[in-house]
Amino acid sequence: MAETHEEFERRTGGYEWIPYWAAARQRELRFQRCTDCGQWRFPPGPMCPSCLSLASEWAPASGKAHLVSWVVVHPPVLPAWKERVPFVVVLVECEEGVRTMGNVLDATADDLRMDMPMQVDFAPSIDGDLVPQWRVAAG
Amino acid sequence: MSLKDQAAIVGYGQLPFSKDIGKPEHVTALEAAKIALDDAGLVPADIDGMVKWSIQVTSENVIARNLGVPNLRFFGEVGYGGGGGCGTVAHAAAAIASGLARCVLIYRSRNRGSGGRPWAGTSRERDQSQAEGNETSFFAPYGFVRPVDQVAMFTRRFLHERGYTTTHLGWIAVACRTHAMNNPMAMMRKPMTLADHAASRLISDPLRLFDNCLETDGASAVIVCRADMAKDLKQKPAYVIGASQGMGPRNFTMNNFFKEPLLESPGAYAARDVWQMADVRPQDVDVAQLYDAFTPLVLASLEEYGFCAPGEAGAFVENGGLELGGRLPCNTSGGSLSEGYVHGINLIIEATRQIRGVSCNQVPNAKLSLCTSGNMVPTGALLLRGD
Repeated sequence: MAETHEEFERRTGGYEWIPYWAAARQRELRFQRCTDCGQWRFPPGPMCPSCLSLASEWAPASGKAHLVSWVVVHPPVLPAWKERVPFVVVLVECEEGVRTMGNVLDATADDLRMDMPMQVDFAPSIDGDLVPQWRVAAG
Repeated sequence: MSLKDQAAIVGYGQLPFSKDIGKPEHVTALEAAKIALDDAGLVPADIDGMVKWSIQVTSENVIARNLGVPNLRFFGEVGYGGGGGCGTVAHAAAAIASGLARCVLIYRSRNRGSGGRPWAGTSRERDQSQAEGNETSFFAPYGFVRPVDQVAMFTRRFLHERGYTTTHLGWIAVACRTHAMNNPMAMMRKPMTLADHAASRLISDPLRLFDNCLETDGASAVIVCRADMAKDLKQKPAYVIGASQGMGPRNFTMNNFFKEPLLESPGAYAARDVWQMADVRPQDVDVAQLYDAFTPLVLASLEEYGFCAPGEAGAFVENGGLELGGRLPCNTSGGSLSEGYVHGINLIIEATRQIRGVSCNQVPNAKLSLCTSGNMVPTGALLLRGD
């Protein structure tokens, strides 16, 4: 049965997150940015904590980041993930100064080093949606 | 006006911890409340206020009408699961200091051993922090949903920047287990060594099974009343000389990775305020219950509450530093890691036992007792003193 809009919102962060996932389906990494003071804001929210503006845009990000931390997930996990354990989740800090997460592509935990450069890519999440993922930057 | 010395913990009640308590949460909450009233030498008509965790399913009127409490003049709740514990006492003390209530019942009953897991969507529990944005699961498309993953993400960076190792985490698990071995109420009483910790299976690398608290069914209650009434009751009062809450900037529940400094927790803010209110220093503390849903939270608290400088918490916990007779006896009932995990209400009770002098691992002549709440979420702290 197809997922309802409400179910999608609930498992992916809610109303403010919809543009993040929508951009990723177009293979774009975008973050929320205040259109009044220009401050990047992520995770997204309705108000700019710097200038209290309610106006924002979803601006394209460079996709360049560095690795802040990572975990390797082992059981117990949700049923959908049982075949994939162990798997890696990374926390990255993007050039824009905001942090986000993803899985890693074409690498294992053994390949990861603190603060190494990372590059965004896009690959399906477990439910088939194209989502931002991260790979070790070349060179 | 300050909360200092306005209120005291005068009673507590606790059912045995188990994997399956065999009764619904509203029944066990009532049983714990009855034990707490008997402990204090109070009757239900003495209760005129209640504070609960917002994640607690059983509401105050269920407790009040079944206990036969004629009227509640004050009732409120504190959010953020394990971050809420000390906040419930802070709210009770604030209500008492301001005259909103004279005698406040705090309760937490939770069937987390036999019931569902919130991260798997199989629990009835729902915190108000999940109402907008569901921030505890916004990285669900990456399989990142469990509290242990969220803490592990913090932990890897924390160990890296401070120079700590997973052996330091092991020392914390071992200290809790060593204390639990003397506590007949504790769920885990088999001896644990550093090697046992290191050999336990990975759950979210760098965290292992023995870095995690216990999935527990439990029910506990605490009674806070006016300081001037406390001295005439059955038990030696544990006076609230400091109580605080703290959130810090740009907080996200469990996923608190989006502020600066990255590694600073809400505990830093609760710490500052609790020391200031109580007008005491970390070195004055005789015994501490540092919130331990996961071992690394204790390392962070040792720094943030000022027991050691950043980078020194590893040496602090080594060689039994947290055990009875060590640098700072911590989690003397076995804590969330080895006694039971009920969002920290058992830590509040153990902090009170130490003041009464009745702990299974009693610190001789303990006069000042610290308790902290979960520091990966908005948190709180509590300082109790004898007389």
